[in-house]
Amino acid sequence: MMSEHETPAIEIIDAHKRYRAVVGSPVRDAVAGVSIQVAGGCIHGLLGPNGAGKTTTLKMLLGIVRPSGGTFRIMGEDSTKPVGRRGVGFMPEQPYFPQHLTAAHALKLYAQLSGVPRDEIPGRTGVLLERVGLSGRERSTLSTFSRGMLQRLGIAQALINQPKVVILDEPASGLDPVGQRDVRNLMLALRDEGVTVLLSSHQLSEVETVCDDVTIMNGGRVAAEGQLDALLNVSGQTSMRVRGLESGLPADVAARAGSIAASGGMWVFSVPDEAVRASVDAIDDAGGRVVSVMPMRDSLEDYFARLLAGRAEEVTAR
Amino acid sequence: MRTSIWPIALGVVADSLRRKVVYVVLVFAALLAFAIPSLPDYGLGVESAVFREVALALAYVTALVVTMSLAANRVPAETERRTVYNVVAKSVSRWEYLVGTWLGMFLVAGGAVAAFTIIEQVVGLVTYQEMMWVLWEGALGIWLEMGVIAAFAVAVSAITGPVVVVTATLAVLFIGHARGTLLGGEGALALQPFVPSLDAFNVVNPVAHGSGVPPLYLASMLVVFVGLTGLSLLVGSIAFARRDL
Repeated sequence: MMSEHETPAIEIIDAHKRYRAVVGSPVRDAVAGVSIQVAGGCIHGLLGPNGAGKTTTLKMLLGIVRPSGGTFRIMGEDSTKPVGRRGVGFMPEQPYFPQHLTAAHALKLYAQLSGVPRDEIPGRTGVLLERVGLSGRERSTLSTFSRGMLQRLGIAQALINQPKVVILDEPASGLDPVGQRDVRNLMLALRDEGVTVLLSSHQLSEVETVCDDVTIMNGGRVAAEGQLDALLNVSGQTSMRVRGLESGLPADVAARAGSIAASGGMWVFSVPDEAVRASVDAIDDAGGRVVSVMPMRDSLEDYFARLLAGRAEEVTAR
Repeated sequence: MRTSIWPIALGVVADSLRRKVVYVVLVFAALLAFAIPSLPDYGLGVESAVFREVALALAYVTALVVTMSLAANRVPAETERRTVYNVVAKSVSRWEYLVGTWLGMFLVAGGAVAAFTIIEQVVGLVTYQEMMWVLWEGALGIWLEMGVIAAFAVAVSAITGPVVVVTATLAVLFIGHARGTLLGGEGALALQPFVPSLDAFNVVNPVAHGSGVPPLYLASMLVVFVGLTGLSLLVGSIAFARRDL
């Protein structure tokens, strides 16, 4: 959550990108009025179906694509200019590298381009290759690397300048389950170190696991944004699991409960958030044992699907 | 001021050194250089002049093939493969990327010209017992012209693909060396100042005849080189900066 006076780590205001396929054809808005604010030290997810404008937005933020309009700032500086990208690391989707380089040479090149002092390069290279699971492959040429290894190297090159802000476009794409877990842990570790992470991903489980806030884009616009808990806990209901109620649910609980199911002595039902305390007391009085009390929460996948189908409420929860 | 030009240039050099085309062209050129002395005898005293003239022509073709093979596709390929993202998303200006790329090609072209000139010198020494240091003046002219050609090709490649780059560069090469012929007519003479001439780099006569190139002329070559290269890279950088990658 960002306070009003806090400078956002990443700030995109009213971003536009218009394309014209050929001369004379109608102008198409790839991105239309997108505004995103990312607080420092958090992991922010950027979600959306193919063609939603996520990658175009990231490219505009990094000066790879020229914006048709809007303001783009990272750590308060105009990120469309090279000087504004000094403290930024970026891993593009499916990163490609010159195939003749070794892993160490590639990182050395990107370190030089990022202005890393010459005497610090060997140390950082070793540490980073170990961090992304490529230690021992320093001297291997990249033509011998698998897709997953190139992905790991892509993350390493994004971190070579010890950035304050890291932008990752589909970082887990092409990785096996262990690799995906490693990337998740790496993002969480970066957040613990105070690094801001902007994560663009199709992998909703990954986003749900690591992100503090999300922005969901669709059709070049922001469809929903906010903290994940607020977005997904849309029902205002709490799920309860209870055992030891041989005579059934107490009447006052049953009156408030919804979606009641019983199986093998376990009662599962939901009650409104404000009725949780009274329900627990009633179950205690009836001799039952509360096994779990959890806020009912959509999966991000369900929410995403409903949103794109136009059935979810558009939510801004900051 | 920190600049990324040098690391980018060294990257281009490293990439070029693994390309077979550079070595293949050099080997063929060297074989031809060894064959020059077997050309018909034009008379006493002119054999070495003929050797130098043909050697310069060979060096020119060698450098041109190497330069074009590097310059035509470097930027389009990096854009197509998206390796350029890892560069321009850092605190690297587009002009630094373009100038660094050109500098790398210029260095490779220089290496190729130098290697070939050494071979020519050896052949000249063995065949005519002359060191032929004057060949290096011709090599300088060729190298500088390749710098201009590479700058133009890189500038065009900033906004288009390799086929257009090769076509446009060959056209400029032809026009640049045929300006007097193409614009020799009365009305066309007025256009001459606006058409860049590459004849400034043509020092075949003084090199072949052994008199050497006057220092002032060498200086004028450098001025033309700086002007044409700078203009090409400036226009290319402006165009590249406006391009969506």
